[in-house]
Amino acid sequence: MRCVKIISFALILGFVVPIRGFAQSEMEVIQRGAYVARAADCTGCHTNAGEKPFAGDFILASPLGNIIATNITPSKQYGIGNWNEEQFAKAIRQGISPTRYLYPAMPYTAYAELSDADVHALYLYFMKVVKPVDNKPERITSLDFPFNQRWLMMGWNMIFARKQPWEKAPPEQDNIKRGEYLVKVLEHCSTCHTPRNILMGEKESQFLGGGFFAGWYVPNITSDPISGIGRWSNDELVSYLRSGTAHWKSQAAGSMAESIENSLRHLPDQDLQAIAAYLKTVPPIRTHGQIRPAFSFTGAKPVNMALLDYAIDRNPNAMTDKTTTDGQALYVAACATCHQLDGQGTKDQFYPSLTANSATGGMFYNNTVMVILNGIQRKTNDGIVFMPGFGNEMNDIQIANLANYIFERFGNDSLKVTAEQVKLLRLGGERPIIAKIVLPIGGVILLTVVGIIYIKRKRRRQRYRHLSSKR
Amino acid sequence: MSTQYDADVIVIGSGAIGSNLAYELLKHGKSVIIIESGKWIPRWKIVENFRSSPRKNNYNDPYPDQPWAPTSYRPGYIENTGNFQFYPGMLRLVGGTTWHWAAFTWRLLPNDMKIKTLYGVGRDWPISYEDIEPYYVRAEYNLGVAGSDIEDQSGQNRNQPFPPRSKPYPVPPEAETYYYQRIKARLGANGYHLIHEPNARPTQYWDGRPPCSGNNNCMPVCPIGAMYSGDVHARKVKNLGGEIIEDATAYKLEKGEGGKIVAVHYRSSKGEEHQLTGRYFVVACNGLETPKLLLISDVANSSDQVGRNLMDHTGIGLQFIADEPLWPGRGPVEQGGVFNRRDGDFRSQHAAMKHSLTNIVPNRPVTKYLLSKGIVGPELDRQIRYMSARWVDISTMLEVLPNPTNRIQPSSTRKDALGIPTMTIHYDIEDYIRRAAEVAKSDYAQFVKIMGGTVIENNTGFQNRDHLMGTVLMGDNAKNSVVNHEGRCWDHPNLFLASTGVIPACNVVNPTLTGIAVAIRSADIIAREV
Repeated sequence: MRCVKIISFALILGFVVPIRGFAQSEMEVIQRGAYVARAADCTGCHTNAGEKPFAGDFILASPLGNIIATNITPSKQYGIGNWNEEQFAKAIRQGISPTRYLYPAMPYTAYAELSDADVHALYLYFMKVVKPVDNKPERITSLDFPFNQRWLMMGWNMIFARKQPWEKAPPEQDNIKRGEYLVKVLEHCSTCHTPRNILMGEKESQFLGGGFFAGWYVPNITSDPISGIGRWSNDELVSYLRSGTAHWKSQAAGSMAESIENSLRHLPDQDLQAIAAYLKTVPPIRTHGQIRPAFSFTGAKPVNMALLDYAIDRNPNAMTDKTTTDGQALYVAACATCHQLDGQGTKDQFYPSLTANSATGGMFYNNTVMVILNGIQRKTNDGIVFMPGFGNEMNDIQIANLANYIFERFGNDSLKVTAEQVKLLRLGGERPIIAKIVLPIGGVILLTVVGIIYIKRKRRRQRYRHLSSKR
Repeated sequence: MSTQYDADVIVIGSGAIGSNLAYELLKHGKSVIIIESGKWIPRWKIVENFRSSPRKNNYNDPYPDQPWAPTSYRPGYIENTGNFQFYPGMLRLVGGTTWHWAAFTWRLLPNDMKIKTLYGVGRDWPISYEDIEPYYVRAEYNLGVAGSDIEDQSGQNRNQPFPPRSKPYPVPPEAETYYYQRIKARLGANGYHLIHEPNARPTQYWDGRPPCSGNNNCMPVCPIGAMYSGDVHARKVKNLGGEIIEDATAYKLEKGEGGKIVAVHYRSSKGEEHQLTGRYFVVACNGLETPKLLLISDVANSSDQVGRNLMDHTGIGLQFIADEPLWPGRGPVEQGGVFNRRDGDFRSQHAAMKHSLTNIVPNRPVTKYLLSKGIVGPELDRQIRYMSARWVDISTMLEVLPNPTNRIQPSSTRKDALGIPTMTIHYDIEDYIRRAAEVAKSDYAQFVKIMGGTVIENNTGFQNRDHLMGTVLMGDNAKNSVVNHEGRCWDHPNLFLASTGVIPACNVVNPTLTGIAVAIRSADIIAREV
């Protein structure tokens, strides 16, 4: 056990330390495995905060219901301790465990491209370093019919999970390729950043073109200069990936904050530089209707200062009354202490500006509203970044009006949000069509749909294979 | 006989102490209802009230003062009959008066728990420091206290941390402001021990609160919710399934068989009457309202000590202009102070004392002072700049002893809008304190001399410090104390009091943490019985 601790310590530090029991070569492989686990963010779903690593029992609130990430420690009873390497590879690359089909909440569609060497390294890492946790899981996944018919995934996989492994992970000097491997495979960015079709498969033609997840807009990160990251400097991208902030551009919240916390902030600088370099090469996609970048909304629109510092009724009933729907009054009271009356934040941007900000200047109201509702919490290498949520302290119309004030004064003034839309976001956002229509119709129809689409798509799939073989 | 209760435990008062106690009970799996006379008001609303207030130095001003839930500043609510005008700044809303406080979260010293034995004055606690230490830890972690793990907080310059702690502070202390550094260096070179004041303003993210960023607005309201206030645990109580009934002012505890309390009666602002039953009852309405409720209910008072022994850390102050710019007003409203006289054999003769370095942005008092001298125009601007940079404000707290004639009673003539009696307070300053004040003034003369100062005010007279203690004090004898060491009323086995009012000996340190620690201890005891 102590030996394992020492190894873990060495792995964290990134040193290859020969340790009794492991040959130098095996150490290197295990260290690579630890790195792959980190870069693929296994922790993000398979570890509950404060609990033992990879012990699972983590709830993923998917649009189709709660999916429980399982114990992936080498526990023989509750984990993957009995899996051989082939079974392990099949689970992470094809979504088929020795006992059942996995749901694509596990990003096997991306991990499918892991090189054999990386799968091997990952396997060794899990089996030899990760500590088995022999705890009976407290919960199991149980989706509603027809989604509880896991065998249906067979059809889905035929359409959407058909990528092939890379021959080998690109070497350090091949910067852009390395970035591509990180973006497409390890960090599985497309699982959120690529929009999904009616069957919840990624729209390949819209690779990294931005989508919606659990109420959040997941930004377009193609090289497009207007809608994507085309005009971000590589250093800004690296800063964002490392700490979740690019001054006067964007701040990470929601699941992106978690990805930074669990994975990205731990990667070496050259990895983040490689990701930035690769993203700059991703074919540009323009978000429909967008004519200027979110960060180009600089400078707050002027307001009458006298209206910002107004006298109020000193009657105790008025001083207790929390029902104002005046967006500006709410902004001054709830937001301006940190973001300042002019929305510019503090000089050092410890409190970020609301102008030149992807949440307020983009094409969608979602992220401004989601942050007001839920706040931000992000562990970085320099401490925890935190903004409180106001979901408890304001109702839907107050949040809508506050957000509209922010859009109008600091961001894209054509953005508008209604109280009904806020209400929906409070509940986790719009459910995908499949969740809304398939539940009542049932599995047979789903199968039919799957079959038809499969046939229609066959030709395109073959074209894709042709393209990917060029790699 | 089986009886249906509204909840296992009814807690009266949603302040920091009541909410922490309720939270601990919920964690033990008990059902809890809190009743609160005020309302639940979001922080942004209080901030709005503050921003627009013309009375920035009145810390009660941003908070509603309702005829049916009066704050202590409501004209006529407190009537004084002693030689001191006792007017603490107490609030009525969910979360209580910790909405505005300096958030200092001190532990008592082991010696403070036995001052009768050691110094022949006051009363001993019925428990020792060792008994309460684990609960201090829990209270500190509930609140996210930032404190120094290396200083001797008794001010006696031992070369080791003191008092002993079983667990480090949750978060490290904030960096020292320039103001504090300079005064610490100059006074420190002359034998004065400057100690950091532990406080509930975390220096890093803590349990749903952002780190303090030095808005210097702890009183009257932390605009970002970094500083702890009772609403933090009120929210947790709600999230754990506890109920909080707002606009519910208790006016009677009803006695039943066997000395048990069977119900609490309360009124809403509209005068509607309700009652709640429970297995246990906890009164957590601060050190004035708690004894008042007991007295108007005619409970818990076989000792005739309810409402007596009222103690504040009645103090004095000093303001002077130093000979160098110190830039007060950056960071928290107070950071540390001089603690040489926190403990020592002198306590048999006069009160212990702490001299806190107030760090509130001084523009307002400076301007007020200059205007009173008739200074106007460009000279006023120049002098505001000059003096604000050099302003030193010392706030001294003195140890007060329990005296049965210092007391709070329900008014026999006046009532609030709900027909509940208001308060009459009799509070005399005694020689034990007056002697200490003279010693404090000799310190003041030294401070001014060392800092090359020009005195602005060194004769403030005695001042309120808003620490309400002793009025339902604990002891080891039912004949001369209100509650036993558990916080349980001697007269009623199912009635607990959770308040700084239970403190029988108070040293010179802000009492809230001690009140919360004792209440958490009470919660554990209650949870074993219900």
